[in-house]
Amino acid sequence: MTDQHILSAYDRDLEAIQALVMKMGGLVEAAILDGAQSLETRDVELADKVRQGDKAIDALELRINEEAARTIALRAPVSKDLRTVLTVMKIAGSLERIGDYAKNMAKRTHVLAEMTPINGPDAALRRMAREVQGMLRDVLDAYVRRDAELAEQVRMHDQDVDQMYNALFREFLTFMMEDPRNITACMHLHFIAKNVERMGDLVTNIAEQVIYQVTGEIPDEARPKGDITTSVSKVE
Amino acid sequence: MNDMRLIDRAVDMKDIKIAARDVQVYYGDNHAIKDVNVDIADKTVTAFIGPSGCGKSTFLRSLNRMNDTIDICRVEGNILLDGEDIYDKQVDPVQLRAKVGMVFQKPNPFPKSIYDNVAYGPRIHGLAKNKADLDEIVEKALRRGAIWDEVKDRLDKPGTGLSGGQQQRLCIARAVATEPEVLLMDEPCSALDPIATAQVEELIDELRENYSVVIVTHSMQQAARVSQKTAFFHLGNLVEYGETGQIFTNPVDPRTESYITGRIG
Repeated sequence: MTDQHILSAYDRDLEAIQALVMKMGGLVEAAILDGAQSLETRDVELADKVRQGDKAIDALELRINEEAARTIALRAPVSKDLRTVLTVMKIAGSLERIGDYAKNMAKRTHVLAEMTPINGPDAALRRMAREVQGMLRDVLDAYVRRDAELAEQVRMHDQDVDQMYNALFREFLTFMMEDPRNITACMHLHFIAKNVERMGDLVTNIAEQVIYQVTGEIPDEARPKGDITTSVSKVE
Repeated sequence: MNDMRLIDRAVDMKDIKIAARDVQVYYGDNHAIKDVNVDIADKTVTAFIGPSGCGKSTFLRSLNRMNDTIDICRVEGNILLDGEDIYDKQVDPVQLRAKVGMVFQKPNPFPKSIYDNVAYGPRIHGLAKNKADLDEIVEKALRRGAIWDEVKDRLDKPGTGLSGGQQQRLCIARAVATEPEVLLMDEPCSALDPIATAQVEELIDELRENYSVVIVTHSMQQAARVSQKTAFFHLGNLVEYGETGQIFTNPVDPRTESYITGRIG
C-alpha cells in the first residue's frame, strides 16, 4: 500500500507543514540547551540569544496554524491526514510553551548572574534540562518515523524528570533553611526547576499526539506521575 | 436541525430495515458482489462509497430488484426487508418498488406536467380515492421534496421545463409520493450545482425522519455530510461498514484509509 496521495500537491502541503514543525522542534531543543547552559555558566549573552530566539519560535507557531487552517479549508483532510493536521497544531502549541519556559529560564539567568552562585543545584538543573531536551529529541524522532512505541517510552520517561524535580525541591528547601540569604536565588532556581518539569509534561503531551497520529487513539491518563512535592511539608 | 447529530451520529441498530445475508451478484460470469452482509437501519441515512466498478450501485439496485431487468444478472443470498425475503417468488417487484423507491443520477422527470409526474405512482397503485385526495398527495409529496413553493403556481407545466436541481427534487417528490419505506438514491447530486446539492442534502436529512435512505455517492464529502452510517465497497467486497464519523476519522481497514484519503488503493 502506497503512502502517497494521487494528488501529489497534497503530499507536498502536508510535508511542508511537518517540516515547519521539525524546524520549530529544532529551535526549541536549542533554546532548552542554551538556556540551561547560560544558567550554569551565568552567561548573560547566551541568555539574550535565547530570549531573542523565542520570537522565531512564536512566528513558526503562527505560520503552522495558518498552514493547517489552509489545508483544512482547501483539502478537507480525513482520517490520518486529518490527524496529521490536528496534531501539527497541538504539537506546535506545546513547542511554543516549551520555548516560553526556556525564555523564562534565560530571563532569570540575568537576575541570578548578579547573585552569589549556589553550587550543587546548577549542575542538577542542567542535567534535568538535558534530560528534557533528550526526551524532546526522541519524541520528534518518533513523530517523523510515526513510531508510537518510542513515543510511549518518552511518555513513561517523564517520571524521571519528575523525580529530579522532587530532589531539587528538597535541596532548595535545605539551602534556604541553612541560610536565608539564599532565599532569593533559590526561589528563582526553584521556578526554573518547576518550569523544566513542566517542559517534561509538555513533551509527554507531544508524545500523546504522536500516539494519536499513529493509532487514532489518545492514550488514557494512566501515566506514572512522579511530582510528589504537593505533599511535601518539611525536610527530613 | 438537531445539533447533537453534528457530534454524535450514533444509530440505534435495533430497527433494522434491510438485512443482506451472503449476497452474491453475477453479471454472466462476472462476480460483481461477493459475500455481502449488511444491516441497514431504519430512519437512517446509509452511504455507499467506493471507486467506480466496486459494486456499490449494483448492490443498491439489488435492494429493489432493479437488476431483474438485466437478463444476465443473477442474485444469490438473501435480502430481507422487514424480515421478508424480497427475492421470494410471491413478491411482486412492482409492489416492492413502491415500498423501496429510487432516485437516479440524472433527473429523469416524465415528459408530463409537474402534477402528473408526482401523481403517476399514487394513480397506478390506487392510493387516491378521488381527485381531492390525489391533490393532497401531490402537494404533500412536493412539500416533502422541498419544491412546493417553487412549483405550486405551475403544476400544469411540463416537469422537463424545470432547472436541473428542481427536476431532481421533483423526482424525489415523485419517489416519496407512493409513501415508500426505503429510498434508494444513486448519485442524486452528481448533475447538480453546489446550491441544488445543498438543497437535496437538506432534503435527505429531513427524509431521514420517516424513511431509511441509502445513497450511493462518489463524493466522499457528501457521504460525510449526510450519512450516519457509511459502507465502503472495493472490488465487489464490502470492506468496511461503520459509523460515518469513525470511517472518516479512524477507519479500521487500510483499503478504506487509502480510498478516503485519496491515496492509491
